[in-house]
Amino acid sequence: MSELQAADTLTVADFARTFRRVQAEIHKVIIGHEQAVEELLCALFAGGHVLIEGVPGTGKTTLVKTLGMALNLSFNRVQFTVDLMPADITGTRVILSDGDGRREFTFQPGPIFCHILLGDEINRATPKTQSALLEAMAELQVTVSGTTYPLPPPYFVMATLNPIEMEGTYPLPEAQLDRFLFKVRLDFPDQEQLVRIISSTTGPEEAGVAPVFGQADAAAQVEALKRLVREVLAPPAMEQYAARIVRATQPENSRYVGGGSAAQHDEMVNRYVMFGSSPRGAQALILGAKVRALLDGRANLAREDIDAVAVPSLAHRIMLNYAAHSDAIEAAQVVERVIKSVHAART
Amino acid sequence: MSFPRSVTRADEKLGAILAEVKRLRGRLNSLAIQRALFGALASIIAAVALIFAAAYLLSPLAFVLAAAAIAICAVVICVRAIGSGWAMLSSASKAAEIADYRASLKGRLTTVVQMASRRHRGSLWPYVLEDALSYRDDFAASRIERRRIERSLWALLASSLIAALLIPLARSHRRLERAHPGPPAEITMNLNDLHLRPADPGDADAPEVQADAATMQKLQAKLAREGYGAGAGAAQNGIVDRARKIASDVQSKLRGDTRQKPRLTLKLADSGEDRATTPGGGDWAMNHPEQQSPPAGQFEPQHGDEGRDMPMLPTDNSTPRDQLAQHVGGPGGVQAPSAGGSNAQDLSATPQDTADASSSQGSGGGPSHGVGADPDSLFGAASNSKMGNEGFEISIQARPIEHGAKGTGQAYMPPKVRTPLNHDQHPDEPIARATVPASDRTTIQRVFER
Repeated sequence: MSELQAADTLTVADFARTFRRVQAEIHKVIIGHEQAVEELLCALFAGGHVLIEGVPGTGKTTLVKTLGMALNLSFNRVQFTVDLMPADITGTRVILSDGDGRREFTFQPGPIFCHILLGDEINRATPKTQSALLEAMAELQVTVSGTTYPLPPPYFVMATLNPIEMEGTYPLPEAQLDRFLFKVRLDFPDQEQLVRIISSTTGPEEAGVAPVFGQADAAAQVEALKRLVREVLAPPAMEQYAARIVRATQPENSRYVGGGSAAQHDEMVNRYVMFGSSPRGAQALILGAKVRALLDGRANLAREDIDAVAVPSLAHRIMLNYAAHSDAIEAAQVVERVIKSVHAART
Repeated sequence: MSFPRSVTRADEKLGAILAEVKRLRGRLNSLAIQRALFGALASIIAAVALIFAAAYLLSPLAFVLAAAAIAICAVVICVRAIGSGWAMLSSASKAAEIADYRASLKGRLTTVVQMASRRHRGSLWPYVLEDALSYRDDFAASRIERRRIERSLWALLASSLIAALLIPLARSHRRLERAHPGPPAEITMNLNDLHLRPADPGDADAPEVQADAATMQKLQAKLAREGYGAGAGAAQNGIVDRARKIASDVQSKLRGDTRQKPRLTLKLADSGEDRATTPGGGDWAMNHPEQQSPPAGQFEPQHGDEGRDMPMLPTDNSTPRDQLAQHVGGPGGVQAPSAGGSNAQDLSATPQDTADASSSQGSGGGPSHGVGADPDSLFGAASNSKMGNEGFEISIQARPIEHGAKGTGQAYMPPKVRTPLNHDQHPDEPIARATVPASDRTTIQRVFER
């Protein structure tokens, strides 16, 4: 094996090793939620943002804090409330006086300027404040008073949603939902996990998290791993497969997509879906699948990788209609059905 | 010019992988072609065999319908087989996908094949090649697709076997049919006892009708009355008749028939009154040309039954038309009138009825003795001559009973009914037709005219 190949092999192996180390550090604090943690890290290394949904007390904030500690990256938390203003997040220009007594407008960065941002209960803020995150999430920059400030890479936003207290909340607009790569669900822990949570959090000792990266090169290391993810080969067959899945989430009568010959319109989609996934859904499928491929020691995509990330990639991008709500149909069920129908159409 | 070692090795690895995929593709495409070929051949052979057998076993109309159905099915199956084979044809990419699926390679081969032609493959391309090549044993063509011969060969063999069995079977059936003694060569019937219709064109089994000129004219008039003349109805059926004719020709060619099949001769006599209006009555006789004809109202067994002393007699409900239907019935046969509500299958007869029939119509011996209703045809030569010099032939749709629905190939043998005769009765003896002296002819003729 040549040196080049050996180096590449090492890199691919390193990715999986680093990923597993970060995962292990997080699980020193977070009990259970293995799938959620894996999806969270997938989104991080794929360069996306995550929307976390879970009832209070399931460890949403703790998870994000632990992630920041494990990666040794800067971490900020914003509690979204109804009176939160955009400037409270992005920062604002304030009048400061220097040593000579001269006063001038100086930009005071908000909590958005960090590597990992936790937007807690994002649906409690007004749409105007929620939208303050749009530019930061999509373009990794903030514009205040006509001046654009770049955000330090890697930039990772994790927003949490509380699904049971919906009164006085503002559901996230579709445009903002679409900017989250994955939507991760934190389920209530089972009996055994709950006991472990109690014992580990009520004792005198707190579980310590050892940083995987050094303080100086943590951001660079994470960025290198993110670049490696982009290097994973996605053959046209896989791209077509992802496109077929995304098109299949559109109902047959969608005036934005139409019924092309390549689209399989499942009856469940036609019945319950108002709008299907956007093209960002296909991007999320491929990027998430690339991380899964690297974790499996491969530098190429497989259908299994795409299938594995289909639900967290697409579920929050699908708008269900009233029939779905009345029949208690969830978007994840629709996505799973879509995957099955695309598989059936192939065979 | 020298290339970096790693690049050269990467190309070698790529070449090795693509060569294996090419071998797999060749094998898959060979199977696809075999599938199309074997499937199409199997359907064609089976269809030809079935059509050939149908030519031997079915009537022209049934043959036309069966052949058309078989041909349509064969075409559909043939097209599907070819389409299936066409769909199985693999590109290199598809062959790689199949190998990925069957060897659980998780897209490694597909990635290599599809990305091989790209200029920018990324920094992980050498790793992908190395990774894929490490599974070389798993995607060897002989492991991915073990078969060299497609399973549809069994279909081809099965259809060939069916053809090999079916065609000789049909031929032997035909030979048995020919070897079997035929039906009564001649039947003499009263014109008014019959409902006749012209035979289908090409129906070689239909009997020939012989009659004198006057009777023939009456027959034609009767046919015209019953709607079988050359009128509008016949014109409407022209296409069907033509198809039947063509089918008959095709059948003959397929069978290799060169000689004309002996046909049943139906001799018509005219009693001058419509017997169809007199239920239970009527004259009838059946003759073998080689045998002496029985007296009127009696049935002569067909196959060497000279030693049997109990003749079969019609019952009250068994009209001569029924007896005729018994002999010449079958699909599309002579339609006997329903007078008397008789069933053609019922041959239980009583001598009394026979006596009545004999007394009312009279009878004579000989092969063409008629039913006594036409005095002009009473006297003829003692030989098997046809009735009348001006007689001509038309075909009616009728067929002997041994070609009937049972399909056993055996001629119908009427059941024996042993009814004891009373003291006034004597067993009927066949009366050989003899030349009547000229001096007695006037007397006999008067008797019959009465």
